[in-house]
Amino acid sequence: MEQKKTFYREFEVFSKRTPSSPFLHQFSLLAPNAEMAMVMAQENFMRREPVADIWVVERENIHGLSLEEKAALGRLDNKDYRETKGYGYLKKKWRYYQQKMFDEKEILSWSGGNKHD
Amino acid sequence: MSVLERELNEHEKLEQFIARIEAGDKIEADDWMPEEYRMALIKLISMHGISEIMGALPEKEWVPKAPSLRRKLGIMAKVQDEMGHGQLLLRVAEDLLKPYRKDRGDLMMDLFSGKLKFHNVFHMPAKTWADAGVIGWLVDGAAIITQTNMLNASYGPYSRALHRICAEEVFHAHHGESIIMALAEGTEEQKQMLQESLNGWWEALLMFFGPASSTTTGSSKQDVTIKYKIRTSTNEELRQSFFTKYIPRILSLGLTIPDPTLRFDEEQKVWIYQQPDWTKFKQIITNNGPRSQARLNLRRVSYENNAWVRDALSAASN
Amino acid sequence: MTELNITTNPENKAAVVSLLFQLADDDFLYSFRGSEWLGLAPHIEEDVASSSISQDSMGHAAMFYQLLEELGLDNADALAHLRPAKERRNSILVERQNGEGYYMDVPKYDWAFAVVRNYFYTAAKKIKIESLKNSSYEPLANVAVKVNIELYYHLLHWKTWFAQLLNSTEDAKQRMQAAIEQVMKDFGDVFSLGTEGEKMVEIGLIEEEKVLVQRWKEQLKPVFESLNLSIPEIPASPAANGRNFEHTEDLESAISTLSEVYRIDTAASW
Repeated sequence: MEQKKTFYREFEVFSKRTPSSPFLHQFSLLAPNAEMAMVMAQENFMRREPVADIWVVERENIHGLSLEEKAALGRLDNKDYRETKGYGYLKKKWRYYQQKMFDEKEILSWSGGNKHD
Repeated sequence: MSVLERELNEHEKLEQFIARIEAGDKIEADDWMPEEYRMALIKLISMHGISEIMGALPEKEWVPKAPSLRRKLGIMAKVQDEMGHGQLLLRVAEDLLKPYRKDRGDLMMDLFSGKLKFHNVFHMPAKTWADAGVIGWLVDGAAIITQTNMLNASYGPYSRALHRICAEEVFHAHHGESIIMALAEGTEEQKQMLQESLNGWWEALLMFFGPASSTTTGSSKQDVTIKYKIRTSTNEELRQSFFTKYIPRILSLGLTIPDPTLRFDEEQKVWIYQQPDWTKFKQIITNNGPRSQARLNLRRVSYENNAWVRDALSAASN
Repeated sequence: MTELNITTNPENKAAVVSLLFQLADDDFLYSFRGSEWLGLAPHIEEDVASSSISQDSMGHAAMFYQLLEELGLDNADALAHLRPAKERRNSILVERQNGEGYYMDVPKYDWAFAVVRNYFYTAAKKIKIESLKNSSYEPLANVAVKVNIELYYHLLHWKTWFAQLLNSTEDAKQRMQAAIEQVMKDFGDVFSLGTEGEKMVEIGLIEEEKVLVQRWKEQLKPVFESLNLSIPEIPASPAANGRNFEHTEDLESAISTLSEVYRIDTAASW
């Protein structure tokens, strides 16, 4: 791609607070190239918080939605079949079989490894 | 995707825009916006941004002179934040300027030509260390009041920048308070230094909020910014809020406010005060203040002196 | 490791004190020169980023002055602000002004000089701090471990500027070459340990000068090779050796600025 010769190229800065956290958008800065954007990113936007990783992305490489296209993000609120709340009746059923329901809280608690107790 | 629906005409776009603002929706850089809104934002935000950049100059004078290692560190961090706020705000302004094909270099040129103005307070001299404290305490205090007034601005990028800025302003306020507190509790000479600083800054602080109405100076952008929900309170409301918050604190430290007519009117529930000289205000903001030309010159010389750096790296940027 | 005896051995203590002053004064002046650039850097984002480096360096100076305070010398602020030029141990490299003009007027600072000085100085500081991590004086070794954490960024920052400018236009290359020459003229005392140097090495405070210089060159080698440049020679005998209190006039004016407010009333709380 033909790159206009300018010092003021636009980079969007993303960062992770901890190694396990997701990347979050911070802000944008001007820099002549990605390497320079990278050496300025942390001190411009994350001077007072921990940082585990940084991405700088030249803005022209980001594809977004226009105001009209954002209309495509709308949807109806009729999709409880996708969610646990659509299956709430199971709790009662399992109780009938004298079993506990494996709900979200229970399932996510297995992250520490399954113990037989 | 616009093929799915017919293009809205200008009038419908405006109606949709107003409806979004009324509903508390945030306008983004690439969204359609009326020219009046874009122009008001550009004027407001580029002035706000360049004021931060110019505002770094009076305070940086005191960085090497700060009277302890800790003070040197504190004020260095503060000046850094001012430049950082300038960065955030200029980025917001630069995105709004895209349809006009203008970039940061053009904003600097507008500053040098006098087309882009900066806040009255940054045209004033910072003569003593107490001024460094009063700038942090009261000038930043005034800035916090005007900036929090726009935290929920209808323009999303500005609102997000202000959220970052206001969080740091809290540090600035404490930094300033720490400096003036040491002076207020210090030797007679230190106390006097602080009082003289307050005397010197009082009028500039009143001017900071701008004239109460356009009749005072012939122009005011406050009406347009309120109409488009960029801000909520008027200049005078903000000034009154500053009085209410800061006058008791100033007096509690044993300082005298250099306005014998200043009083709170219980009936009208407003502060009565000596109006600053608004003719002088106009002079100051048109770059005829005590330090206007010197600071502009410093900014211009350093910008030009470093031009080779920007040229070198833009040529190499492929 | 047996503990270094500084309580009953005055020569050992003098060596520790001398080294700490070298380190403290270096960073104090280096940070000051950086702070004069505030608001005047070639790019706003860079102004913000390099300010952090000046702050970090002032923080390092404060830690070194604190170690001196703990050794029973004056308090850290007095040590930083009140000592005249003839008692300072910093390298003349860091006392040199940034370019033409006083920072309170309309200075014309030289970004090429800033980049080269900062890069070469930071590379030297990194080598010294690495050596100090194993210092026989434990409080210093502990501080070195902390300081080292922030040097990765400082080094990356200035290395990036150095390499990019030397890889750009002819104009920039010429300015950078001139800056390299200018910086090297003052580089003779950077690794000098001064008159107490032998004692410092003997009691294991830090490694000897020629070892440090060699490592500095090794460190710069890949960068210089990628730019097709040869590593400049450090002058064998420095024009002035700041470690032995030899300084330029630039230091006098720097100290008078740095202590202007502090000196109004040294007993007052500021």
